[in-house]
Amino acid sequence: MDPDIALWLMVIVLAVVIPILVVLLKGVLQAASSIPPKIDAIAGVAAAASKDLDAVVVLLTTQNYISQITGSVLNYGGSLNVALPDA
Amino acid sequence: MKIQVAIILLEVVLIILALAVYLIATIVHLFRINAGLDVVLASVDEIVAKTAPVNGVLDAINGTLVTARDALEGLHLKKGGPDAAGLVESLFPGEGANFLRRVGKSGKVVNVGTVYTRGVGILASLGRGAPVGAAHTKGPAVRDPKYSTTAASMLYPRPGGARSRPKSPVVGREPAHSPYEAALTPGERPRDPTGRAVEARPQDTSSGQINVEKQPEAAEPAAPAPAPARITSAKGTRPWEQAPPQRPPDTGSGGGAAPPAQPEADAPPAPPTSGRITTAKGTRPWER
Repeated sequence: MDPDIALWLMVIVLAVVIPILVVLLKGVLQAASSIPPKIDAIAGVAAAASKDLDAVVVLLTTQNYISQITGSVLNYGGSLNVALPDA
Repeated sequence: MKIQVAIILLEVVLIILALAVYLIATIVHLFRINAGLDVVLASVDEIVAKTAPVNGVLDAINGTLVTARDALEGLHLKKGGPDAAGLVESLFPGEGANFLRRVGKSGKVVNVGTVYTRGVGILASLGRGAPVGAAHTKGPAVRDPKYSTTAASMLYPRPGGARSRPKSPVVGREPAHSPYEAALTPGERPRDPTGRAVEARPQDTSSGQINVEKQPEAAEPAAPAPAPARITSAKGTRPWEQAPPQRPPDTGSGGGAAPPAQPEADAPPAPPTSGRITTAKGTRPWER
């Protein structure tokens, strides 16, 4: 093959590759640039959720109350067991 | 140098420039993403740290509630008997079968609420053993909306019917429930237990009252001289107490004529005073 023809073919191929490469790189850049806003939004929600979970400590108090209420209910059931006749 | 080579070199340079520009921009965005994820990760760590004890607390609460539920279901089964599942079914449709499964029983769940009203069913079940199944569950309720307790009492067979039960005694109408007990000391009450005045009531010798008029009548034939025993006042005999000796002898008493005549002979102090009565209470001591 004539060397001139080969050089011209290489010029054409490179001319075609350049826009394709640019389009692909532009897509990657757009994808990468769309992530940081979402990360910021997730960070805000996570901070708010972490703040809301401060009330979880109250569950310990709730557990104590439920234990007391259960004890009262069981005492009431014991009284009913004595007061009411069996079936 | 040929022109083809020069063009190739130019295109290669353009490719390198494009790669450099876009890749550098992408790297910058990736750094920003990394920084944002660090912030999110810190918040997530807080969430994990704060929710760590929730499982244990909720498990403890759930265990406590399950224990209480089991105890109350056992009590309900003990007191409700075979109708326990039906009572649960009447209150929470669909839970009767679950109740039976939890307590380890099996059988058909009869909705008690379709047979009785809620209160009657519970009371009958707890107190007497309700005959669940007296009516079909899909039929009309076996209860009278106007006389519900009567309808419930009719479910229990009794000789003579449910209406033959003896009524409760009324306090005060029967001697056993007299509001007045026997008096230890003789006396006179202004009213009797029925509310009537004592004066309006006929004389009753069994009441324990002192009857002054009847005693001499009963003792008149046998006691020849009742006058000394009838002096109950320090002022002497009363005019009406002296009247019998003044009357003509009573022949119809069966005691004969001699007993009435004997007081006339044995009572010298009384006759002379008959004309000296100046008061309704009789002669005075100094007049005697």
